Parts: sequence; structure tokens; C-alpha cells
Amino acid sequence: MDAIVVDQLTKVFKIPKKDPGMVGALKSLFRPRFDAKTAVDHVSFKISPGEIVGYIGVNGAGKSTTIKMLTGVLMPTSGTASILGRDPHRQRVENAREIGVVFGQRTQLWWDLALVESLNLIARIYDLPADRYKQMLAQFAETLDLNDLLKVPVRNMSLGQKMRSELAAALIHEPRVVYLDEPTIGLDLIVKERIRDFIRTQCAATGMTVILTTHDLGDIEELCQRVLIIDEGRIIYDGPIHAIRDRFGKFREIKFETGGEPAAALKLPRGSEITSRENRVLQIRFDRTQVSASQIAAAVMKQVDVHDFSLSEPNLASIVKQIYNGALDTK
Amino acid sequence: MIRRFLREPPKYFAILSMVPKVFMAYQVWFWVSIVLNAIGMAILYFFWRAVYGSTEVIAGLTLNTTLTYILFAQVFRPLTDIDLIFEFGYGLREGGILHLLLRPINFQAMYYFQNLGTLGVQMVLQIPMALVATFVFGLKWHTDPAVWGAFLVSALLGFTALFFFVYCVACLTFYTTEVWGLGVLFFGMSIFLSGGLVPLAMMPDWLQAVVLAIPFSQALAVPINILTGITPLSEVPRIWLSQGLWVLGLWLVSNLVFKVAIRKVTVQGG
Amino acid sequence: MAEFFRYISLYRLFLVQRLKALMEYRVNFIIGAASTIFLQASSILAIWVVMQKVPDLNGWNYDEILLVYGLITLAKSINHMFADNLWTLGRVYIRSGGFDRFLVRPINPLFHLLADRFCQDGVGNFLVGVALVIKASIALDLAWTPLKLLALIVGVLSGGVIFIALNLLTCVTSFWIVDSVPVTRLVFDNHLFAQYPLTIYPKAINVLLTWIVPYGLASFYPASYLLDRDLGYLTWLAPLVAAFLLFIAYRAWEVGLKHYNSTGT
Repeated sequence: MDAIVVDQLTKVFKIPKKDPGMVGALKSLFRPRFDAKTAVDHVSFKISPGEIVGYIGVNGAGKSTTIKMLTGVLMPTSGTASILGRDPHRQRVENAREIGVVFGQRTQLWWDLALVESLNLIARIYDLPADRYKQMLAQFAETLDLNDLLKVPVRNMSLGQKMRSELAAALIHEPRVVYLDEPTIGLDLIVKERIRDFIRTQCAATGMTVILTTHDLGDIEELCQRVLIIDEGRIIYDGPIHAIRDRFGKFREIKFETGGEPAAALKLPRGSEITSRENRVLQIRFDRTQVSASQIAAAVMKQVDVHDFSLSEPNLASIVKQIYNGALDTK
Repeated sequence: MIRRFLREPPKYFAILSMVPKVFMAYQVWFWVSIVLNAIGMAILYFFWRAVYGSTEVIAGLTLNTTLTYILFAQVFRPLTDIDLIFEFGYGLREGGILHLLLRPINFQAMYYFQNLGTLGVQMVLQIPMALVATFVFGLKWHTDPAVWGAFLVSALLGFTALFFFVYCVACLTFYTTEVWGLGVLFFGMSIFLSGGLVPLAMMPDWLQAVVLAIPFSQALAVPINILTGITPLSEVPRIWLSQGLWVLGLWLVSNLVFKVAIRKVTVQGG
Repeated sequence: MAEFFRYISLYRLFLVQRLKALMEYRVNFIIGAASTIFLQASSILAIWVVMQKVPDLNGWNYDEILLVYGLITLAKSINHMFADNLWTLGRVYIRSGGFDRFLVRPINPLFHLLADRFCQDGVGNFLVGVALVIKASIALDLAWTPLKLLALIVGVLSGGVIFIALNLLTCVTSFWIVDSVPVTRLVFDNHLFAQYPLTIYPKAINVLLTWIVPYGLASFYPASYLLDRDLGYLTWLAPLVAAFLLFIAYRAWEVGLKHYNSTGT
């Protein structure tokens, strides 16, 4: 059975229209008018138990609205979500027992309490049996290296320490479905690496299902077998990470080392353009759906003396950057 | 401070003119506070009517005089609202004070004019309260310009003295993080000590002495006594003089206190 | 019922942790409680000064007034200690998105909100209230029959619930508007009337404080009962009114929550 089944999930927000000025304010008080904004638009996907899925898109694309519906915080306008067979909103409490959530920017710990006190409280909120809790605490103290932190109040922690603590707090009740929102934001490389390691091993050990939203390509490359890309409320990609390249990486680059400086006016086939030329190095970017590398090479060699040339694969980072810039051509 | 003000007036007027903009953000509060103040006024009004239920004169004051005093004290309550404790306390925490210290401006003068501006705006915002006091609770306004003049000078002197006093107390926030408690404590003290709840004349002598020794009363009870005629005009010059001395003394003390306290910020970085 | 005990024991845990955190700022804890005592002292001092000059206020002497004042302060302190977080619902929780944290946990979000912050400042109010009631009781030489003791407890507890219910009812507006505090204050400040015997006010205010924002049921009526005065029997109405208000307020909370669920604000 799938851990998460999302079917035609849609959320439409009504945004009150405000007319300027006092008269406008009064008018909207008595006859409010609304604009409808579709934040999530008929989204469907299924996630199997144990999968780690990256959920990416620009800010405002509908990521957090989707996550809020999956956690039961928001009620969908239409469509359904089912987490472990439950409706997360209607069965909010039962669902809450099975899920863990890390909101990267907001803490779920008590600011002034020592970490262990916060964890004690959370254990009680989730009704954890005392011995199981002790076991989990010992385990996390080890895997997240929390031993020195347990007595420290959250307000005195560094960003990295806080995130380790957040993870412990979100996972102590052994949730089967976990939502991680920007779990590595603002952390330095070493800490990032540790957190990724922890998530990976934790998933392998417990078989928990993870939805991860992040702006960090490293998170996705190292953790996710599968990626969902959302744009303007719609899922525009659902598949393995390596296939993104084939799907969206339609631009490639070809680099020539030339004998002399190439002539100013170089004739190139359609769908290609020069991106830089200096010190006898010429770089050309081309759209591989319109023109092939050999066609360009032939064209250039006809006009310039070429010593060497190389073809570069599109880099995943630049593709994801394009996705986040919203510059992706999805057709 | 005065010299600097005369030399650089535009700067301080700019500070003054900022205040109404800040207030516009509190539109809702404006309407709500009218109701809240009216509730407070109504309680005092009926309380005092009940007090005079079986007596004509208390401590030489008739019901009319007392009600006039109490209602004026309500209308002119902003005279005692000097918000420096939260300003210093939270401004410091956000690091804003260090920022301000870097600017070529007299710190104390800036806050004085800011609070003076706030007082002006608050008095304008009190107009609805004045109307409620007048038309609901029957407050009678003086027509004698001499009384009003004497009152205004006394109120300004008292406000200034209180400003320097609050300035000293606000410097305490450089030493403690409990800004909220300090603020509430101070506010609680101000309510009684300003003389806004009970006319000074009704207090036992020892209590009157205490109240007069703490500058809250200088900003409210003393000028309102002039306005209601409890203090005759012939006494006014003496009162101005004593208020002037308050201003001078507290100005000196406040500068001293600030000099000591600011070391806590500049030396230890807060 | 098991659920009820679970919440009770959870609350105890929240409370213990909160006190531990407060103990880290011991000075602040004391100043916080002291500040409310000072605030009350101002009003009480004013009453004392005035009552030195006149024998009674509409037939209520100094100690009888202290009893009324003490009862309202006790009821208020219950709200202040256990439900102060309602004030911050909009500003601290909803506006920042922190409220979502309550919704992803398997407990009642309102319980979580209330349990999240026991307010130490209320302890000051509680102590003032207790001191005033004891002082008045001794000075008036009150005869504490079991029924009167019950009336005291019923009055104070119902009063506390009335405070909480009215605050909840008004704080719920923060699901719709940016800042609910003005709305709450509009209702809350009416309790100040109930610091004095309601007989000093005109009829309309009596009706307001008995039937509309029934803070009078927390102070004036129980005091009347303890002093064998007219209308004291209305004390026994207090638990019904409190329960009714709480029911309405909780329904309003559910509607607000539903609105939050569909807009996310």
C-alpha cells in the first residue's frame, strides 16, 4: 500500500479585493469581493513507504500549501489526500500521531527549556511509552550527537545544534511519514552533511517516508531517489532525479580552442549562440532539440582553425536553478 | 540641550513630525481606547458620586470640585505617559540604541522632543475623551485665560521634570532584562502617585508628602490643582519656581545616571 | 474520562516545565508577580484614602468593598495565570505561522495554546485576592457556614471561567483580523466596574455587568451572599452562566479554527 496518495488535490484561496481609500474600505466591509487564487491545482501523486521524495518549486509555487494540506493544517478545496489511509484533516489527531514535521525556520521546541525537557514534553504529548522513549532518546543522543546539548536551552544553541534538536523532536515518536521543510537552510557544509547522513540512515533503518522541500540541490542529490517539481500549483515533473537532465536540460555548451582569434561575425546554425569568446576560447550554447553538436562543430570548423573542442553535459545545479528562477521551459 | 535645539531645529521638528505617522498605524486603537477610557471615567464618576452620598464636603472639596478634578485628570492623563522604559529596554535589545548613539544628535533632546510630540498628538487624540467628560459627565471648563496660562506652564514644567525622572529609571533597563515587569511596575506606581485617582487634599499628610516627593504628581496633580482652582492663582509663582527646581535637579541627575549607565552598553556591549 | 486525566497530567507537566524555565529568570519571576501587586496596590490605596474620609459607599463599608475587590481579583487571577496566552494568539502564534505547530500534534490545539504558557504575573493577582478576602473576612467577622464556603468557591471558579470564556470569545477574532487585542480589551475592561459594589452604578450598568458581560457574578453577588445582602442568591446562577459562555466561546473557537483550516491566513 502507498504511504501517501494524493488525488486531484486543489486549494483555492479567496483573496479579498481592497479598494483604495476610506470609501473603498467601507464598501469592502459591507460587500466583500474576492479574487480566487489557485495555489494548488489538481495535484496527484503517490509515494511508497520508505521513499524519500524531493518536493521543489519556486516560492509561491504551492509547495507549502501542499505540505499544509498533507499535515492536516489546511483543508483542501477539492480532491483528496490520504496519509497511511487516513484523511489528514478529518482525522487530524490520529494522523498527527503518525507524522513528524520540521518547519525549517520555526522551532517546535520551547525556547527557554533545556532540550531534554522539551523532548520529555513532546514524548508525553505523543503518549510514548516511557521505556521506548528512553531507547529513542539514547539512540538520538548517539546518532545526532546530542549528549552535550540535552541540558542546553534552545535559545543558547547554534543554528546547526538547533536543527539537530528539531530533528530529534520531530522523529522521537517514530513517525512513519515525515515532512522536512528546508532542513539544511543556513547551515555550513559539514553540518549539512551530518544532517543528510542522519536522514538517510534513519530512513533506511525505520522505513519512514519522507517529503523534503529544499532549495539545496545537495540535499536532493544525496537523499532523493525521486523528485516532484511544482510550478504555479501544478506538478510539472515527477520522476527520478537523473531524468530531469534529459527532460529539462535542453541547452548544452560546446567549447572550442582556436588557432587564431575567430572572426567577429561568425555564422552559426539556428538555435545556437556564442556565450563567450576570449584568449582563443570560444563557447557556444545550443538547444539540442534544434541543432546537434556535430552540426555546430562542422559550422565552426569551416570558418575557424580549431585545435580542440569539448562538449559539456548540462549541469544539474544550473537546471534546478532554472527551475527555481521559474525560467524553465516546460513545453 | 536648548542651545543645540536652537542651532539645529529642523532635525528635531523632523522627529516631532514622525509621531503622527506612527499613530496612524493605531487607528483601531484610537476608537477602542475611547470606549476603554469612557469605562474608566464612568467607574470613577459613579464611585465619587457614591463617596459623596452622605457628605457634602470632604477635605474642603465639594463633589463638584472633586469630579472636576478627577475628570480633568483623566483628560490630561497623557501628561504622565512617558514611554522611555520600553523604548530603552527593547531598543537596546535590538541594538537600536547603539545605532542612535552613532548619530550626531543629542540623545536626551531627541527623546524629549519625541515625547513632547507624542504628548501633543495624544492630547489631540484625547479630544473625544474631553467631549465625553463634558457632555456625558458634565465637566465644566474654565474660561479664565489666566488660569489656563498658569496651568499650561505648570503642566509643561511638570511634564519636563517627569521626563527626566523617567529617563533615569529607563537607564535601569541597561542592567536588567525584565523590561516588561519594570514598565508595568512603574505604570502601576504612576497611577496612584500622579494623583489622578484621589485629590491630594484627601490624603493623610504623610502620604501627601510621599506623593509630592515623587515627580509623577508634578506632571498631573499639581497642574490640575491649578486648573480646578484648588490651588489659588496667588500660589502659582511659588509652584512654578518649585517645578523649575525639579526640572533643573532632575536634568542634572538624569545626565549623570545616563553617563554611568551607558558605560554598561559601550564597554560591555550590552 | 481517560482523555480528561491525560490532559490533566499533561497540563501538570507543561506547568512544571514552565516553572523550571521561569526559575531560570528568578528575578523576573518576582518582578512579574510584584508588578501586578503594585498595580493593585494603587487602586486599593485609593480606596483606603477615600474610605478614611467617609463611613460607607452606598451602605458598603471599607472591608465590604475590599471583599468585592478581592473576589474579582481572585477570579481575574485564574484567567491571568491559566489563560493569558489567549491574548497573544494572533500576535505570537497565528501571524508568525507558529500556530501550525499545534495543529500537527495529537492534542487539542486550544489546550496546547493555554498550556504553553502559564503566566506568572497572575500569581501576584492571586495573592492580592487571597489577602483581601482574608483581611475582609477577619475584619467583618464573617460566619463561614459550609454553604458560604461553597458560594465563595463557586463564585471564584465561575468567575474565572467567565473571564476565560469572554477572553476566548474575543480572542478568536484573531483568526480573521490582524490584532484581536483591542476587541478583547473592549469586553475585558468592563470587569473594572465589578471591583466595586454594583449598587453604586445606574441600572443599565447593573444589567450589563450581570447579564451581558457578567463579571458581577464573580464579585458583587458572591460578596452579597457572604454578607447576607439582597440578590446574593444570584451567585448560584454563576456556574450556569459560566458554562453557557464557555460553550459559546468554544463553539466560536471551533468556527475560527475551521476558518484557519480553510485559509491558513
